[in-house]
Amino acid sequence: MDTLLTAEIAANAPRYRRKSSTFIDGIHDVSQDANNMAPAQLYSTMSGRLFHSGRIAIVMVGLPARGKTHICVSMARYLQWLGVKTRIFHLGDYRRATVGEGVEVPQDYFYPNASPASVMLRQKILKRCREDIYGWLNHENGQVAIYDAVNPTASGRLALAKEFAKHDVQTLFIESFVDDDEILKENARNVKISSPDFHGMDPDEAAQRYLQRIQTKIPVFETMEEKGLNYVKMKNAGEQFFYNNVSFNYLSHRIVFYLTNLHIKARTTFFVRAGTATEEDSYKADAPLSEEGRAYAEKVAETLLKHREEERQAAIANGAPDHPLRPLSIWTSTRLRTIQTAEPLQKLGYKVRQRSQMSQINPGVCEKLSERAIRSLYPEEVEKHELDPYHHRYPRAESYHDLAVRLEPIILELEREQNDLLIIAHESVLRVLYAYLMHCSTRDIPKLKFPRDEIIEIIPAAYQNEAKRVHIPGLDPKFIPSSPEDIRIPVPGSPSGPSSPIPGLGSPGEPCELVVLSRPPEKVINKAKEMVADKVADED
Amino acid sequence: MAPKTNGIGVQVEDMKICVVMVGLPARGKSYIAQKAQRYLKWLSIPAKTFNVGNYRRTDAPQPSADFFDTNNPEGERKRRAAAEAAVADMLQWFKSGEGVVAILDATNSTKERRKWVLDKVKSEGIEVIFVESKCDDEELIMANIRDVKTTSPDYKGQDPEKAAVDFRDRIRNYEKVYKSINEDGDEDDLTYLKIMNVGKQVIINRIRDYLQSRIVYYLMNLHIRPRSVWLSRHGESMLNIEGRIGGDAGLSHRGEEYAGKLPDLVLESVGSNRPLTVWTSTLKRTIATARHLPKHYNQLQWKALDELDAGVCDGMTYQEIADMYPEDFQARDEDKYNYRYRGGESYRDVVIRLEPIIMELERSEDILIISHQAVIRCIYAYFMQKTQEESPWVPVPLHTLMKLTPRAYGTEVQTFKANIKAVSTWRGKGSTAKHEDPAPDGGV
Repeated sequence: MDTLLTAEIAANAPRYRRKSSTFIDGIHDVSQDANNMAPAQLYSTMSGRLFHSGRIAIVMVGLPARGKTHICVSMARYLQWLGVKTRIFHLGDYRRATVGEGVEVPQDYFYPNASPASVMLRQKILKRCREDIYGWLNHENGQVAIYDAVNPTASGRLALAKEFAKHDVQTLFIESFVDDDEILKENARNVKISSPDFHGMDPDEAAQRYLQRIQTKIPVFETMEEKGLNYVKMKNAGEQFFYNNVSFNYLSHRIVFYLTNLHIKARTTFFVRAGTATEEDSYKADAPLSEEGRAYAEKVAETLLKHREEERQAAIANGAPDHPLRPLSIWTSTRLRTIQTAEPLQKLGYKVRQRSQMSQINPGVCEKLSERAIRSLYPEEVEKHELDPYHHRYPRAESYHDLAVRLEPIILELEREQNDLLIIAHESVLRVLYAYLMHCSTRDIPKLKFPRDEIIEIIPAAYQNEAKRVHIPGLDPKFIPSSPEDIRIPVPGSPSGPSSPIPGLGSPGEPCELVVLSRPPEKVINKAKEMVADKVADED
Repeated sequence: MAPKTNGIGVQVEDMKICVVMVGLPARGKSYIAQKAQRYLKWLSIPAKTFNVGNYRRTDAPQPSADFFDTNNPEGERKRRAAAEAAVADMLQWFKSGEGVVAILDATNSTKERRKWVLDKVKSEGIEVIFVESKCDDEELIMANIRDVKTTSPDYKGQDPEKAAVDFRDRIRNYEKVYKSINEDGDEDDLTYLKIMNVGKQVIINRIRDYLQSRIVYYLMNLHIRPRSVWLSRHGESMLNIEGRIGGDAGLSHRGEEYAGKLPDLVLESVGSNRPLTVWTSTLKRTIATARHLPKHYNQLQWKALDELDAGVCDGMTYQEIADMYPEDFQARDEDKYNYRYRGGESYRDVVIRLEPIIMELERSEDILIISHQAVIRCIYAYFMQKTQEESPWVPVPLHTLMKLTPRAYGTEVQTFKANIKAVSTWRGKGSTAKHEDPAPDGGV
């Protein structure tokens, strides 16, 4: 392989220079640690591949503004969560690296009768992308390569499947087919925001223009009907699926199952801690909210509703149409304190669903034991725990890994939900769900912090999710930090400073910060944003 | 997933689903219905099948093909009455509060009939998903006809040749009025799954919730090609002899003998030279047991097939467990399915981790599984529809090969003994014996 080119791509492709942060979705990060197990991995293997499935190339099919990138990013997030080594190869990254940032491809780049120069350029870009795919599958134990491109013609797809087969790679095509004007316009509106060409234009008109431009640029697109290929055709964002199954294997079926729950409509997920209960220390007691807990619940409702309305006004000011807010669903666990934290909102008419899978991590024998007691009773367990806080399980307790496996159905339902969603749960559950949406590493999950004075808002975007923290003003500082509600499982301190092995008990080394009462909502600055700006408008 | 109420009287899981089967006779509908029910129950979701044919049989036990002719008013009336009775019972089952997923097993081959069922069930606040099996492959249909005519109560005791002819006439009567779902484009609003030619093509339309998607996922993994599943435990291990549980020991002398005889035993039960795919766990004793099998058999090792993890009790005898953890020992006997060993697993945990195995098993054809007592119990429970009270006590003797063959109306079991002595690892409730003979019914 051309090493110069690889270096060039490394310099230009965002996935190579992304740096981990728990507030930016880590989906495009390349893991440095080969031994890092995924959150809900069923088992570990020497190769890092599931041994009951071969190597798969998932090839995306569909014109721009069909939600392809969103689908492949979501799919990668889910597969990696399940412990399948997955990486996305956006053809656009290779195009940019080849023709240069901001340089347009020739007008006839996508034409069936393109000039020899354009054809050669296209071939060159395709070849480089594919060489990277093979390199990753062959030398880095990759299992699923997701190839994100338009792939508009049947002949091109047949050739691609043949080529992959030669390399002992099974191909599964996933087409996103949209003929619903509303969905197209909505997608186009989301895409065009980043393009200066449409600056200051009426959003509907800009969307229309954008769609027309796609049509002139890519005049030929054949929807999938190839009998001999494995494919999934997703129509209008999940309204209907058609599967042509020549030889689906375990992973293909799993992907199909995931896709039936996926949709490409924008919606936001909020995370909130449950209020404090009267019997903080008991896992089994299932105590009701204390008085402070009730006051907290009122604050949550007030802050959240105010924030949603502000966001809507801001969007309108930005040129979005004056639509009413999306409906908001609320999920709680079946434990009283989470149910009661939802009550103020329920009284306002919001629908609350209780999910039994969302109960907090089971502390097992650690229930009602102080840190000292745990250390003296189970010194060996504490040692093991400190080595691997994610996978270690105290006697009769659940590990975070157990919790993640238990929450997997919730993950699928989370994807299915079309409304905005507020999840009120114990911090342990929030950690695992947050880790899925933001793709955090298992080393970080047990350490993620969700103080009570913040509502976490997760906004999905095509390329990655973004997290935002919304401050809840006017809370008693004592009430805010990770409370004794936490189960008493020691978590090793962060390298930056001493902290209590038991977050629930607080630590003298960790003074409570004084809270500024009216802090503006803090937007997480997404440094990758500029880098991905034209990614969403990709036309490859 | 069962409906539960908590302290403040809110239902946890209020979702109820009616799966309505659609399709001509001999398309594997009953097979699908029966499988789906078994799978859901295995996952602790209350499910029940309402077979309209069974209701009709009380009125017309063994009708001939003309009974199914749409021009036969008497037949029409009786069939309609059977459908009404089945639906009424089904709604009653939902109202009683115990039902979560009902499966209405009938042809439902006309638009009118589907609309009638939809309106009736929807008005009770229950979601409807239609599941159609459509098949044009003559060979598959004939294989199904052969299977049905030998197992269906409609043809019990009749001449098989005559039965086949009659059954084909019956299908022809249905074909006259049959409309595939959304064939005319006016049923686009229905939630449906259409499986064509045993999963070669599939359409999924307007899936509305997670449980529906889960059922769909399962059904997509099913096929109706004839096949069998063979189950065997590993050969007797060194720890078996000592009466110790778990561990990762090698085979005993007699265990080795079983491994040596297994290829012949398998050949005898398969009855031909066709190759099987062999799945073992990742533990030494199953891999050693499989190692003499023919080279052209594919072998796969699954972590998920490893023995139930006994946590702190791993490698102990039952007596040692009873001495060291008397409370746990008792708690386990009281609710063996849910009891989780300290730092280990429960049978429920094993079922959850076996789910991908079951999915893969459903997709595959002939498979030989060499695994461990608790794991085989869970797989056996899935195929034989054993309850959670029964399954942890099922006797699974060493040095015995079981052949399970799924049929339209249940699973057939055949047992092949190697006639090589081995200790018994079955244990009765409350017992701490190292080796005892299993009670005939598993002691439940």
